[in-house]
Amino acid sequence: MTEYQENQLLDARGLLCPMPIVKAGKVMRGMEDGEVLKILATDRGSIVDFPAWCEDTGNELLEWHEEDDGFVFFIKKVEEED
Amino acid sequence: MTPAEVRAAQQEGAAVLDLRTPHPFAAEHLEGALSVQFNRADLVDRVELVFPEDLPMIMHGEPEAIGKVAAKLLADAGFPVLGHLEGGLKAWKAEGLPVVQLPTMDVDELKERMDEFTVVDARDPFEFKYGHVPGSGILSWTEAWYEADKAGDDPPIAVICGDEIRSVLVASILARKGKNAELVTGGMVDWIERDYPIEKGMG
Amino acid sequence: MIFKQFRYEPLNQASYLVGCPKAKEAFIIDPIEGLGADFYVLEAADLGLAIVGVFETHVHADYVSCARDLAEMNGCPHYLHENAPTTYPYTAFKDGDVFGVGQVDMTCLFTPGHTPEHTSYLITDKSRSDEPWAVLTGDCLFVGDVGRPDLLVGDQALDVMDEGERARTQFATINDLLFSLPDHVEVYPNHYGGSLCGGVNMSGKNSSTIYYEKKYNLAMQKPDAGAFAQFVQDTAKPLPDDYEKIKSYNLGLLEKEELQGAGV
Repeated sequence: MTEYQENQLLDARGLLCPMPIVKAGKVMRGMEDGEVLKILATDRGSIVDFPAWCEDTGNELLEWHEEDDGFVFFIKKVEEED
Repeated sequence: MTPAEVRAAQQEGAAVLDLRTPHPFAAEHLEGALSVQFNRADLVDRVELVFPEDLPMIMHGEPEAIGKVAAKLLADAGFPVLGHLEGGLKAWKAEGLPVVQLPTMDVDELKERMDEFTVVDARDPFEFKYGHVPGSGILSWTEAWYEADKAGDDPPIAVICGDEIRSVLVASILARKGKNAELVTGGMVDWIERDYPIEKGMG
Repeated sequence: MIFKQFRYEPLNQASYLVGCPKAKEAFIIDPIEGLGADFYVLEAADLGLAIVGVFETHVHADYVSCARDLAEMNGCPHYLHENAPTTYPYTAFKDGDVFGVGQVDMTCLFTPGHTPEHTSYLITDKSRSDEPWAVLTGDCLFVGDVGRPDLLVGDQALDVMDEGERARTQFATINDLLFSLPDHVEVYPNHYGGSLCGGVNMSGKNSSTIYYEKKYNLAMQKPDAGAFAQFVQDTAKPLPDDYEKIKSYNLGLLEKEELQGAGV
């Protein structure tokens, strides 16, 4: 499993779905194209939510895996072409 | 607040927020109560997204300690919180005040009886687009309060989301408006696990 | 499975939450008044779990328990081994009884010695395997140490077993019942380093394994119960202040007001 280097970390543990997405959206808005956001989440809905969100926004889901206390997602910001 | 005071406030338009998990709520709750599962991390954020900021609200937590903490969290965030229900369900029932149930079904039952229901998805548009129950329509948890009146009276409405938390909220909003709503337990997580058909796009 | 250990630093005490996220229910084990019933209620609620059972490994002598309050608040049973000599009613279980929340099984393993009703709880997460994963050992076995066998009220009508008998029982219990569990089983006790319930060898680490304690627990390296009892006596710390008052409250012999701040 490749360990990606994140530019920002969002700790969304304890948040109920879809709040991890809502918060991730806010954080992403302040990030640059190509930067990587690492997200920690405990809600099981995240497993389907983040891929769906990436398909919708064009951001790239680099990798996700399960750890002892939740899920870890690495998402790269991809600016939408105008 | 005593049960009688809560009932009176309800009749004036206040909303009771039931802070319990989905199954105890479905089994029995105060008539007209809305299901908003408690946690400290994002209760305020969720309430902000669902309800108008001037809606007077009353907390119902079991045990009461949860009601008190929720009342404070929301009051501190600027919501018009009238108080919490003292004595909980026990006290409410002792006063002879009405309790109701929310009917439930699991995904197997939904698959079998799909034609008998209007299936409504309580998730956000991007989740719905990614994959939903074929033939279902979207009524996002953040829109439900404002759009509930438009829902049909017949056939009954089966509400689904990822797990159960947003669907039980929307089902309770519909029920409060007198609609015939039922909760799909296990949600899309179970539906997908069983490999049931998925439709993509906005429907 | 959701498994959480809560550490109450002032008394070096550990309590536990064991739950299932699918069933949305949890058990609380050995809750302490120092944290308070509300603390456990909110922790469980934050995890989306309803508390459906409050268990204790034994009636405590070194801290005030909030198990009764917590159980009443949640309208759920307060569980103790059938030997527990309290004056108030509780829900009794026997050795071998199994309780479950969703996919998680908790098996009662009667492990007397520290007290006559002491029980350890074996945790199995059936969603992963049928093998036990962890054991909550209360005051029977600590990380690096063992529970002292001398902390009873001194009222013969309530206490079962004399001190010598309890030491022998403690030695046999740990050897025969706990050390016969698979090596990999994790050990989660009720106290950690610094507590007055054990001796000077207790580690501050929050857990261990059966393998490691079998091999390196000094008290358990003694050849027989007699040497064991002597070692425990030699390495014991002074008796906790107010232990008689604390134990009396936990037994139901004293009202909360009469505690006057003891054991919190």
